Amino acid sequence: MEYIFHIIILVLVYTILAVSLDLLAGHTGLLSIAHAAFYGLGAYTAALLAVECGTPFFVAVLIGMSIAAVVSFCVSLPSLRLHDDYFVIATFGFQIIIFSVFNNWMNLTRGPFGIPGIPRPVIFGWSPESNGTFLLLAALFAAFAYAVVNRIVTSPYGRVLRAIREDELFTRAVGKSVFRFKIMTFAISAALAASAGCLYAHYVNYVGPTSFTVTESILVISMVIIGGAGSRWGPLLGATILVTLPEMLRFLGLPSSTAANLRQIIYGTLLVILMMVRPRGLVGKYDFGR
Amino acid sequence: MLSQLVLNGIIAGSAYALLALGFGLIYSVTRFFHFAHGGVYTFAAYGTFFAVTQLGLSLPGAIIFSITLSAALGAAIDFSVYRPLRIRKAQSTVFLLASLGLFIIIQNFISILFGDDTKSIRRGLVSEGLLVLGARITPIQIVIVAASAGFCFLTWLALHATTMGRVVRAVSNDAELARVVGVNSDRVVVSVFAIGSVLAGVAAIIRSLDSDMTPTIGFEALLMGVVAMIIGGVGSVSGALLGGLFVGLVRNLGVWKLPTEWQDAIVFVVLIAFLLLRPQGFLGRRLRSSSI
Repeated sequence: MEYIFHIIILVLVYTILAVSLDLLAGHTGLLSIAHAAFYGLGAYTAALLAVECGTPFFVAVLIGMSIAAVVSFCVSLPSLRLHDDYFVIATFGFQIIIFSVFNNWMNLTRGPFGIPGIPRPVIFGWSPESNGTFLLLAALFAAFAYAVVNRIVTSPYGRVLRAIREDELFTRAVGKSVFRFKIMTFAISAALAASAGCLYAHYVNYVGPTSFTVTESILVISMVIIGGAGSRWGPLLGATILVTLPEMLRFLGLPSSTAANLRQIIYGTLLVILMMVRPRGLVGKYDFGR
Repeated sequence: MLSQLVLNGIIAGSAYALLALGFGLIYSVTRFFHFAHGGVYTFAAYGTFFAVTQLGLSLPGAIIFSITLSAALGAAIDFSVYRPLRIRKAQSTVFLLASLGLFIIIQNFISILFGDDTKSIRRGLVSEGLLVLGARITPIQIVIVAASAGFCFLTWLALHATTMGRVVRAVSNDAELARVVGVNSDRVVVSVFAIGSVLAGVAAIIRSLDSDMTPTIGFEALLMGVVAMIIGGVGSVSGALLGGLFVGLVRNLGVWKLPTEWQDAIVFVVLIAFLLLRPQGFLGRRLRSSSI
């Protein structure tokens, strides 16, 4: 049972990541490869605050989200001046730079050793020690992310985002500040990713740089695309599939390194096949990158 | 110390230049980032290793074997994945994601087949090398730089002195117009993929003559190739050469003042500076980079 709870918690963490990236990639048409960097910013902030300062959980989450939002400004101000593939490459660059900071700033992040010993959060005296109770907390976070994204995309603000995705020049012509909309959306998406990071850090009790590589970003992108970009339940579906499918490999009794490779081959293959036959993903309505 | 760093930069830069050249050639006719290029690079390195250790070929034989296979792999990728996407008139982001998927597949297959430990095709004793202006260069490193320069020149010759090269340049200028005057652009694209993959193969092999390989080498090579292409400017042989050397030098001279671990970060800081201040690179034409 603990194992099943564990899987569900992972699905929920990735759902937060996928739904927040979908706000950016699916609804606004900005494919960012820096999502794992913001996820990592949240995780590292939560880890350091919990271990070094003993900051209360929700305060740490808010600080983590704010830091991610601020850093997202530094990333998006230059990147958003570029378009299409050049935007992708710029976010790629920032992903590598932020990963380098996690991996090399020994005094703060302890580099490749990571930060161990992060306690489970304590919320008004209640602490989710077992996986079952932590599941409730994770569900709360996922519901929050879903609510935020859903609220945005069903509002007039969300309509502007879709207009930007469909025809940027036209959106500008009707008097919307495309640049400001993009920057705001980027910040919201980054902050939500950071909230997933805080949750993850407190769940696995350890953060290390290898959890926040480019590969992780691509995994989240695959979740969005496979589920269906710009759809309500696509990110949840994509996260569920890409977390649970590789777990099946566990029961085949493969050596763990081979299993890790197979996992990546599975999502690589799904990505290629979907791009070829169904770019709108499994439940999406919008053809990605049309 | 400084002259050694410059030399190391030039040696690393020779491989990056070939990567940037192949990557840029493909970009100039297809207009998307062919990330699976990094997979072809890894494939070529391990292909040579396989031919030497398992098939018992001599090193030159193994090199020809693996370069031929790389060309075939590049052409096969275009034929089986990209061509259907072209027919559907998919946008460049779709190509980019499909090619990321391909890259992940190739890298992980190699990792399963050969394991994650380092492999090597280096031969013989480590020689002390010649002393040039206070820097040591081994004979094999001279071969590396010469091979890179040679292949850049050959590519330039092929692009500017053959009918095929003229056709390639025509398609990269305006694919629609080329089709109107009767160019079979699908065939041109497949051959460009083959040629670009040969260049990636050569880059991988000259790199592995000097250092060990792991299944992840393709990723770093790919990133440096992309950065070199953008910095040098898309669409010219001299741009790729300049960009490759520049990236090699930045990576190695950065070490002069900063710890080695920051090499990648330095390169990307430089890239972002370029994207903002001079998106067309040193020599390139201005591309779609800043249009809407």
